[in-house]
Amino acid sequence: MSAKEEMLTLNLKIWRQEDRNDKGRFVDYKMEGVSTDSSFLEMIDMLNDELVKEGKDPVSFDHDCREGICGSCAMMVNGQAHGPNALTTTCQLHMRSFTDGDTIVIEPWRSRAFPVLKDLKTDRSAFDKIIAAGGYISVNTGNAQDANNLPVSKENADLAMDAASCIGCGACVAACPNASAMLFTSAKISQLAQFPQGQVEAAERASNMVREMDELGFGNCTNHAECEAACPKGIDLRNIAHMNREFLKAKVKGK
Amino acid sequence: MGFKLDSKIPEGPIQEKWEKHKFKCKLVNPANKRKFNVIVVGTGLAGGSAAASLAELGYNVKSFCIHDSPRRAHSIAAQGGINAAKNYPNDGDSVWRLFYDTVKGGDYRAREANVYRLAQVSNNIIDQCVAQGVPFARDYGGYLANRSFGGAQVSRTFYAKGQTGQQLLLGAYSSMMRQVNKGKIQLYTRREMLDLVLVNGKARGIIVRDVITGDIERHTADAVILATGGYGNVYYLSTNAMLSNATAAWKAYKKGAGFANPCFTQIHPTCIPVHGDHQSKLTLMSESLRNDGRVWVPKDKGDKRHPNDIPEEERDYYLERIYPSFGNLVPRDVASRQAKFRTDEDRGVGKTGLAVYLDFSEAIKRDGKEAIEARYGNLFEMYERITDESPYKQPMRIYPAVHYTMGGLWVDYNLMSTIPGLHVLGEANFSDHGANRLGASALMQGLADGYFVIPYTLGDYFNNHDLEPVDTNHEEFDKAEKEVKERIDKLLSIQGTRTVDDFHRSLGKIMWDNVGMSRNEARLKEAITEIQKLRAEFWKDVKIPGKAEGINDELEKAVKVADFLELGELMARDALERVESCGGHFREESQTPENEALRDDENFAHSAVWEFKGEKEAPVRHREELKFENVPLTQRSYK
Amino acid sequence: MPSHNYFTYSIGKKQITAVTGLGLVGFTATHLAGNLLILVGADAFNAYGHALVSNPLIYLAEAILLGMFVLHIAMAATLTAQNIAARGRRYYIKNRSGRGETIASMTMPYTGTILLVFIILHLINFKYGAHYETTVDGVVMRDLFRLVVEYFANPLYVAWYVFSMIALGLHTGHGLQSSLQTWGLNHPKYTPKVKMVSVAYGVLVALGYSGLAIYCYFLN
Repeated sequence: MSAKEEMLTLNLKIWRQEDRNDKGRFVDYKMEGVSTDSSFLEMIDMLNDELVKEGKDPVSFDHDCREGICGSCAMMVNGQAHGPNALTTTCQLHMRSFTDGDTIVIEPWRSRAFPVLKDLKTDRSAFDKIIAAGGYISVNTGNAQDANNLPVSKENADLAMDAASCIGCGACVAACPNASAMLFTSAKISQLAQFPQGQVEAAERASNMVREMDELGFGNCTNHAECEAACPKGIDLRNIAHMNREFLKAKVKGK
Repeated sequence: MGFKLDSKIPEGPIQEKWEKHKFKCKLVNPANKRKFNVIVVGTGLAGGSAAASLAELGYNVKSFCIHDSPRRAHSIAAQGGINAAKNYPNDGDSVWRLFYDTVKGGDYRAREANVYRLAQVSNNIIDQCVAQGVPFARDYGGYLANRSFGGAQVSRTFYAKGQTGQQLLLGAYSSMMRQVNKGKIQLYTRREMLDLVLVNGKARGIIVRDVITGDIERHTADAVILATGGYGNVYYLSTNAMLSNATAAWKAYKKGAGFANPCFTQIHPTCIPVHGDHQSKLTLMSESLRNDGRVWVPKDKGDKRHPNDIPEEERDYYLERIYPSFGNLVPRDVASRQAKFRTDEDRGVGKTGLAVYLDFSEAIKRDGKEAIEARYGNLFEMYERITDESPYKQPMRIYPAVHYTMGGLWVDYNLMSTIPGLHVLGEANFSDHGANRLGASALMQGLADGYFVIPYTLGDYFNNHDLEPVDTNHEEFDKAEKEVKERIDKLLSIQGTRTVDDFHRSLGKIMWDNVGMSRNEARLKEAITEIQKLRAEFWKDVKIPGKAEGINDELEKAVKVADFLELGELMARDALERVESCGGHFREESQTPENEALRDDENFAHSAVWEFKGEKEAPVRHREELKFENVPLTQRSYK
Repeated sequence: MPSHNYFTYSIGKKQITAVTGLGLVGFTATHLAGNLLILVGADAFNAYGHALVSNPLIYLAEAILLGMFVLHIAMAATLTAQNIAARGRRYYIKNRSGRGETIASMTMPYTGTILLVFIILHLINFKYGAHYETTVDGVVMRDLFRLVVEYFANPLYVAWYVFSMIALGLHTGHGLQSSLQTWGLNHPKYTPKVKMVSVAYGVLVALGYSGLAIYCYFLN
């Protein structure tokens, strides 16, 4: 209901795939009367509403919070992860970023480690496996001392917060020319390395998480920085450098 | 049969109840813990922290979530912060004050003993989270920073930028994943719980649907923990996530768990207003904005001028005017209701007239744009992305939206429902917030339940009950699975004309108009009839394409909406029976001359607990009387 | 964990690629410095060449250089193969953000391959090319100057050489700063400067080598 609301007619070219084993194909749809105030996902909702009314299978896509924080939504919009706007998840992308008559190509993340389940839905459980390999500080409930016993410099706390804002959406993998998960992995390694209590198992963490990441079939970082550009939370490439450092330290220590 | 509501509140002075109770709780020895299997449904703050803590103790945990990863549970969206009685700022906070504020903020409809325990363990939560590496905001000296929040006059809220829920959840999630790695937690993602299985009256398992394959699965355990969140999505438009639903809790209710205070819903005052018909959900702006933002509407009715063109003397800063001592920081229910009164007076702003202003110009003048940006930068950005207007240049438009449900499955002091072995944590239970939840208390409660309460009380349950071995071939599992499959087949066979969303929108409208911020007898009765009609129509005319196998998003939605259509009616019934105003429940028949909520402590100082009596029969309302021995019952005043 | 050593990790391979790359960057700099003696004259250039080959340490240096090349190529080729496999199905359209990838970063495997071909030809043409002799200050030595000038008489060779040197400029322009990142050196203050230096180095190397080739062409 902004003052500048307009109605758009759009041509959509959407990847449709029945299930994991289906070959998949693009299908064209024409949409009319899309408000520029709608979000991108609301536009797909509109399409799905029509498809359902016609008894057809709606376009399947992951989404949940629609506030840009849960990391569920994940699609390539015109060849860019989460679409054309910087620091924006698909759910926070609004139709005012498009113009009347545009053709919009919508594809799932493409990565061998993220197989397509249906249409735009992919299986990103590989990320959970990377975290399970070491993305934590091993503290059992009840072990903690008073929270203010360990001061942490504001600078380190802020760096940790920046790294920790990763939402695990996978845009870094999708945008990386090598389908590498290093930005994701490094964000966690780097976050935890900012704290004194995180240093205790820093070497094992770096080593184990990197190994898991490698084994899951992600590609390697060649320092293009497309991940950083696509990241809706602005996770910095410095985290990868930090991970490289932590990894080297781990190997020097023989971990 | 009728159930007995034994709250099991320990004897003794309130300060000692929890300590004594912990000592009285029987322990399970470490070698025996691995013989017990526990199902935890939901991986938000409550479920995630419970799963991790129980697995650390040695129990075998099966953890279920509806998302592709446990990290996506909707706790992640909480922005503002988490309360604790640390008193780091030395401003007069204490466990007692946090307890007092929470009981008062809940408008005296919560159980004192539970709230006191919550305040007691609040400090442990902060310690635990810091140890996990949660990046709370810090001062230059390296110590933790605090801010103030609605309903309190001390700064007791810890925060991590505007992403506190996310950071706390990732803390719990990482603890969980550590146990997954150790093999103590088995993770079942993309599962929707469709029924609870009782064997000999005890909760012994669940039926879930794998939403990728469509397979119906059976899982057994020695105890079941539901941490499945609230039911705000009954209203269709809410700040809840799209997948948030009440199905698990509702199935438990139908299997005999009491449902307490379903009408206690929280309408959050600072949300981005509705923009149009295709809107799918509402976006919340953290309540922390009210620390620096001033709420106002034009003094004149129907004033359509641009806000920046309305001179100071023609603005009505109504919260500051009506509540001089709390001002813009009054509790959520009060702020929301006052916004509704303003728009009802035709003094609302924006195209729809369903909004009020939240103005930062004075704060920007006072502290500088940079300071405001540091505090709220990400919120302002989010607002601008959605509305195309910059809060740095003009006031935000905000309007209340459904946000949280204080009601939920009834639990005793041990967090066990009326079904033995079924424990309920977090927003899914009714326990600690009474009729209104204070800001930054949801995160506190979810983590308190999961990290510090259930690990003690669950052991006590195992010690006090004989649990015969049960496997998935038990006839109760056969029966439950058959019912689930029949329901799905029935839904798919209707092939009517209206979409699931269409029904959901209709339900939402009935609920918002009649069981929303302001309620009265006539409209509540009308709501009950209308919901019944809508429900009948749903089962005749819903249209769901596709089949039961594989991914079927419409079917998933239909299963949830079918339950919302039943729950909505119970909410209206509960609201109808509670002929008083308290917290988020405002009955127009019960108000002071100044339009403030008027409680009726003589007749309603109790929790209403509903018992399911069958599809054809009306549910029965039971009471758990609330005793206020430590916080004197007074009319809440924020003036 | 015996089956996992430094070389089996992605980052280990990257760091080996980076450190050998840095060594090779150093080599391109010293090689260019030597080549610049062409501008001084035939005798200076030939005397420099002679001094190099008559030092017994040259065998060690060549062995190290060969080792770096082999490691660099082996690691980079493995990483590239893994990268291609990691994508799986390719995108229908893939647009760059404009805030990340550059032409240099995108083309690393291609420029690397060009350089490999170039180096092999370069060794055949020069190291193992025609053996002219000359005498400088009474010492008989190989007349590399003549070989170089004769080689660049052919404009096609000049063109190939310039083309390869542009590839070298791109490769080192990205590689230099990239290798620092891979070794964990990234700083908000210094990294932008490092990137500028890196690109400048790439440009200088490409210009320096190509300029000399063109100079030699005009000597004919």
